[in-house]
Amino acid sequence: MKLSYVKPRRKSVFTSEIQLLFVFFGITILMLFFTYAFLLYKDYKFSQDMQDIYKNKARIESNIEKMKQKITLVEKKNLLAEKIYTQNSVLKDSITNLFDLVPKRITLSEAQLLKNGLVLYGVTPSKDVYNFMLQAPLRSIFHKTYSSFYPLKNGWLRFVSTNYVDEDELEDEIENSLEMDEGVEDEG
Amino acid sequence: MLSRFFETLYHKVFVNIVVLKSKSVVSVETLAKGGVIDSVEESFATTTLNEKMYNFISAYTKESPYYYISLLDKTPSQGACPTCSKKNMSKYFDTYSSKHFCYYSRWAYYTSKTDLHILQKEYARIGVDFIFSSFVLLARFFKDKIDTNMAMFVLIEETYITISIFDNSKLLFAKHIDVKNDKNSDELLIEDQDSSEEELDLAISNEVDFDEVDNDELDHLGDIEDLDSLDDLDEFSDTKDIEEELNEKLDETSIHTKADTFSEDYQRFLFIQKTLNDFYKNDEQADQFIEAVYIADGIGVSGDLKRYLEEEMFLNVYIRNMDINAEVFELAKAEVK
Repeated sequence: MKLSYVKPRRKSVFTSEIQLLFVFFGITILMLFFTYAFLLYKDYKFSQDMQDIYKNKARIESNIEKMKQKITLVEKKNLLAEKIYTQNSVLKDSITNLFDLVPKRITLSEAQLLKNGLVLYGVTPSKDVYNFMLQAPLRSIFHKTYSSFYPLKNGWLRFVSTNYVDEDELEDEIENSLEMDEGVEDEG
Repeated sequence: MLSRFFETLYHKVFVNIVVLKSKSVVSVETLAKGGVIDSVEESFATTTLNEKMYNFISAYTKESPYYYISLLDKTPSQGACPTCSKKNMSKYFDTYSSKHFCYYSRWAYYTSKTDLHILQKEYARIGVDFIFSSFVLLARFFKDKIDTNMAMFVLIEETYITISIFDNSKLLFAKHIDVKNDKNSDELLIEDQDSSEEELDLAISNEVDFDEVDNDELDHLGDIEDLDSLDDLDEFSDTKDIEEELNEKLDETSIHTKADTFSEDYQRFLFIQKTLNDFYKNDEQADQFIEAVYIADGIGVSGDLKRYLEEEMFLNVYIRNMDINAEVFELAKAEVK
């Protein structure tokens, strides 16, 4: 029940001094809060950047791996190309040499280049022409040479010359030639 | 919720200002959870707020934001009426210019809005939280008697007398009297001047029966300068001896003080007597008869008042000492709760 004629004044702990104190602490807390929020944001951003970097790193590593594989493949292809090129060059030289080797009087109808041999089909006026003009250079190149003749109606002979290189002997020869080259270099 | 929490952190400081005839008494109570932790009382030789009082109060109110300054309404325009109905209240006072509240829906107490405003302005520097009516103070003080008796209840302050008549908690009559400035007080004293002089002498002697004194003899007594001639009177010679003995024991100042106290008590008696007469004159209360008077003594009245009321008005008088400051504190605490 109300006993007093007047209402009591509103009581508050927030006096001017307390208000000043609260403003000061409020500003301080706000600054701390903003700093904390800023750090949280930065931390989040840093984590995100880290994740992005890890993803990029993984992607780049994967790319590097693929590139390495591609490089390996290209290198292999390059080696193969070089090998083929070398082989083609050798083959070209061999064919050039072969055609240089065939005299004008002998006509080749077919030539089969084997891995370690050469099979020639052709027509020769006589065995002697063949033996002197073609078989002799072939013997100097190949280790084994076999020749077969079939007479033609016009008196010429069809021949089949089968020539093989003995690989063991070829390796020995290469080694010998290399040793000889080394010896020449040493002397030089 | 938050304010309740803050309240528990601070002490409550109750400041109570009681304005007396020529001074103000400021009481301060500091309350904690466990009860009163500090209680101070200081008198200031002023009836308004001066610099010294302001500094004294400020020293305590600065201790806690939860401080409450209470005043007891000293305005003469205050009163009480036996109804809570606004319609009926206008019979007793001007409801537009007065502020009024109901006391437990039984009766209402009121005071002038202008006087309240003046009072608040007077203490504006420190501010006022509570202004209590003397009638509320009286009703709470005699709650046990008011609820069960038909009697007159009187609150005696240094400059005011608050009188109310209750019939089993129903208010029948109420009056607030400014002893110092009441226009009727002079009339009362003039009317009873002769008899009061006689009674003053009788009260001092305490041995002469008022009824036995003849008017002729009193005429002789009026001539104080011829006291020697009074020795011839047989009845008065004994009295004189007692007076002489008293004069030897008491110095002049104490005699004056006693005489002043007696005069004031007699004046209070006249006011009470007049108020009771006014009550009896009221047609509405024609069949009511007051047998007892309960006095809340806030200043320390002498036994003369009781004796007068008993002998002159045939009333059963019960005097209960009242610490006005403590009661106002209780009111303030009740309001804060």
